[in-house]
Amino acid sequence: MAADLPPVPIGSMIPLTGPSAADGAEFRKGMILAVEELNARGGLLGRRFEPIFADTCRQTAEEVVAAARWLIEKHKVHAIVNGYNIGPQNSEYEPIADAGIIYVHANTLLQHHDTVMSDPERYFGCFMADPADYWYGPGFIKFISWLRDTGQWTPSSDRLAIISGSKPYSIVIAQSMAAAAADYGWRLCFGPKIVQTPTNQWREVIEEVRAAQPAVVANTHFYAGDLAYFQRQFMEKPIDCIVYLQYGAMHRTFTDIAQESSVGVIVSSVIGLLRDEMGKRFEARYNARFGEGSTATIGCQSYSNMHHYAVAAAMAGGSGAPGDFEQNRKVAFALKGMIYRSVHGTIRYHPDWQAAVPYPVVTHDPSLGMPHIFYQIQDHRKPLSMIAPEPYNTERFVLPPWMGGRRAAKPAAG
Amino acid sequence: MRSVWATTSQRPGVAEAALGRTEPSDAAALAALRAGIEAVPAGIAIWAADGALSYANLRFRQIFEFPVVIGASFENFVGELARSREWLLPSSAEEWERSERAGFGRDRESDYVLADGRVLNLSQAPLEGGGMVQTLTDVTSVKRNERALREAKEVAEATDEAKSRFLRAANHDLRQPLASLKILIYNCMREPDEAHRADMLHAMSVAALIMEDLLGALLQIGQLDAGRIQPRVTSFQLSQIFERLDIQFRHQAQEKGLKLKFVTPRGTVATDRALLERILSNFVANAIRFTEVGAVLVGCRKEGRLLRIEVVDTGRGVREEDRERVFEEFYRAAEARRGQKSGLGLGLNIVKRLADLLELPVRLRSRVGRGSIFSVTVPLGNIWHSEGGETEISEMVAGEFAGTPVLLVEDDDILRRSMTQLLQRWGIEVHAAADEAEAVRLAQSGVSVSLIVADYNLKSRTGIDVVRALRQEFGVATPAMIVTADAEPRVLESIREEGLPVLIKPVSPPRLRVLMHNLLFEPGLISGSRQ
Repeated sequence: MAADLPPVPIGSMIPLTGPSAADGAEFRKGMILAVEELNARGGLLGRRFEPIFADTCRQTAEEVVAAARWLIEKHKVHAIVNGYNIGPQNSEYEPIADAGIIYVHANTLLQHHDTVMSDPERYFGCFMADPADYWYGPGFIKFISWLRDTGQWTPSSDRLAIISGSKPYSIVIAQSMAAAAADYGWRLCFGPKIVQTPTNQWREVIEEVRAAQPAVVANTHFYAGDLAYFQRQFMEKPIDCIVYLQYGAMHRTFTDIAQESSVGVIVSSVIGLLRDEMGKRFEARYNARFGEGSTATIGCQSYSNMHHYAVAAAMAGGSGAPGDFEQNRKVAFALKGMIYRSVHGTIRYHPDWQAAVPYPVVTHDPSLGMPHIFYQIQDHRKPLSMIAPEPYNTERFVLPPWMGGRRAAKPAAG
Repeated sequence: MRSVWATTSQRPGVAEAALGRTEPSDAAALAALRAGIEAVPAGIAIWAADGALSYANLRFRQIFEFPVVIGASFENFVGELARSREWLLPSSAEEWERSERAGFGRDRESDYVLADGRVLNLSQAPLEGGGMVQTLTDVTSVKRNERALREAKEVAEATDEAKSRFLRAANHDLRQPLASLKILIYNCMREPDEAHRADMLHAMSVAALIMEDLLGALLQIGQLDAGRIQPRVTSFQLSQIFERLDIQFRHQAQEKGLKLKFVTPRGTVATDRALLERILSNFVANAIRFTEVGAVLVGCRKEGRLLRIEVVDTGRGVREEDRERVFEEFYRAAEARRGQKSGLGLGLNIVKRLADLLELPVRLRSRVGRGSIFSVTVPLGNIWHSEGGETEISEMVAGEFAGTPVLLVEDDDILRRSMTQLLQRWGIEVHAAADEAEAVRLAQSGVSVSLIVADYNLKSRTGIDVVRALRQEFGVATPAMIVTADAEPRVLESIREEGLPVLIKPVSPPRLRVLMHNLLFEPGLISGSRQ
């Protein structure tokens, strides 16, 4: 690497403090590992990458916008590469679009589509590297229908209950679940009921759900701790139904609090580390670098986004500082045109949405979409079992322990 | 030439001749002949009268997987060829071998397809004085061209036939309603009585509808005949088709006093969605047409990896002798022909053709006077590949504000319009008003909203006044926000004092979104002024 060339400053807006600090720490590690690997191979056309981290604390619009401004104005970053920030609702797109730099995040937000498509010229550099929250809904409905239609589970009825947290993410997922249900033979018997979150008091809503006699209950709130209390309170007097908990139940915090109560819970993620050769090798490198207590499945998000950005910038012949719209348009063009197989599946940007396309809900070709992975907690002391979709699954669904009445009718088929 | 052949076909044979055991002039001629035969673009073999191979050029020998040796017997050659399985023989190996042996020395010709796909023409002709010559020619490309030509001709003929049939049918079936129409028009022009004229107009519209249906059906058949319909097989939920059929036929069934019931199936099927819908739509139309009392039920039965979709009716049924023929073009059962409301006799034929195209079995079970069950069986599909409406991602369907009613008060026409568009894109049900009076009228007319968005500088009033008036009208403290172009501290202070959050124009959509979210779902997060 040429020592006299200035480094390429890359910003990263990460919740290093506040309620999502645990995820933030992993996003930071993912960035560090990616930059170390890239720099070891010569950086960007001979220039070293230099990551600069901005704390987004509670991830409110004010905090995230301030972080973006600080990175652009003070550090003149050529790109901002993140994991996710919940809360800013795309307000951070404004300073980024004004500066004409590249922004790659995993905010998992439907609003990204609306913002980008409302003015593709202005938001040319804004990319969402994972599928929108919206896709959780139809993906989940297909999942439970797959369990039902392949005889892995015989539901007591066609009734579905949906509880939502009060964040936009939870509400969107709850709404899209409700919208897709009827097409696949499910009837909404409760909700979507929006519960003010954060909360650890769920008994009241669980009682309401019980009265609706559902075959499936989905809680789209996503804080690990809150969900753990939900599950513990559910298990005080279980209902004969499948329990699906949104994203947060993947975290160790969830099983740490819920313990045995967590066994049988279904959880999913539209972005997660795969357990194939690529995924395992990455996890080994990640743990070797940051210690066994690290969570590679979270860190992989910023890691892949950084690698993908670096390849695109190299293809474009270099990165662009704030104001260098022309160069950054070339980088954006390279990002859009490239099908990139990351350690958590394929990042292929939809030409209009500038968001990753999910598999199997939108594309049926696993080589063209990021897998929406379904997990089941089968042993709370062990890693989650990856039960769908093919070809990524490594385990099979088992009937949750509180549903003793009906056994799986026959093995899974397809 | 003849003398040369005579020499070569008798002793000492071509090979020996080439070795110089003949006269020098003969040897030169033989060498020339041999070179010529080797150069012919076909395999050539000469068999002596005793059945031994006298000569075979390189091309001939190269065609066979086994060695072809000079002096070998024809019988052995045929046996070896039959056993090699390299040639697709027209009969059993033994039979073919027998027939070839018997045909030695006779004029014969046949084409053979080889295992690798080539087509060879084998012809043989007797030689004077016994024996025969065989030639093997590669006719693969000739045959391919012939086949292509034949297929093109068949397609052209079928299209031609389809056109003629279309014209015959059109002529036959359009004449009747057309004739009625002419009479009705003529009478209608002279009819003074309003009620009679209305009756006649109704009859005319029925005649026109029949003609339209007929043309539509004939066009479908025409397209099917001409091979223009290419199926596109996808996986999808059958419930989606059932819903559409329910909407399409509900009124027809009601008019006849029939119960139409769809038992919504679970599960994914894999076929062409549009064509399957046409099959089922023909079944249902038929069932309603031929059922006077009772019900039409559409349901499914799972049969292993298949799903049988049944349309059950309590109609007149189909007689045993008619059950095959109902699927024929223009077939109408005797009773149907007599009936006034008979169909066109094309629906089930279209079903048959579509089902053939999709390779789906169609069945009819029936009891005269009790009813019929028409069914089509489709393969089950992979649910993960099922195409729903969900690929059209939209905040209007599942955004956090989808279906939320909002009252927007803005006196600037352009701003009101653009704001309405923005909010509608987010799935919001917008009730827009230009001033307080209009807003209050909306509230009085029964409009109820979850949120008020009011401009501050309205013509005679402020946004604060409007929010107060509306809250009084609604009788509840409906969440509200003010937008203002006036960023003067005094103005902002007055809005804050009222406890209302404020956004400064031009309003940033993400800011608006965050504030609306907080007002609607997380009021605890409101911190008064923003931006």
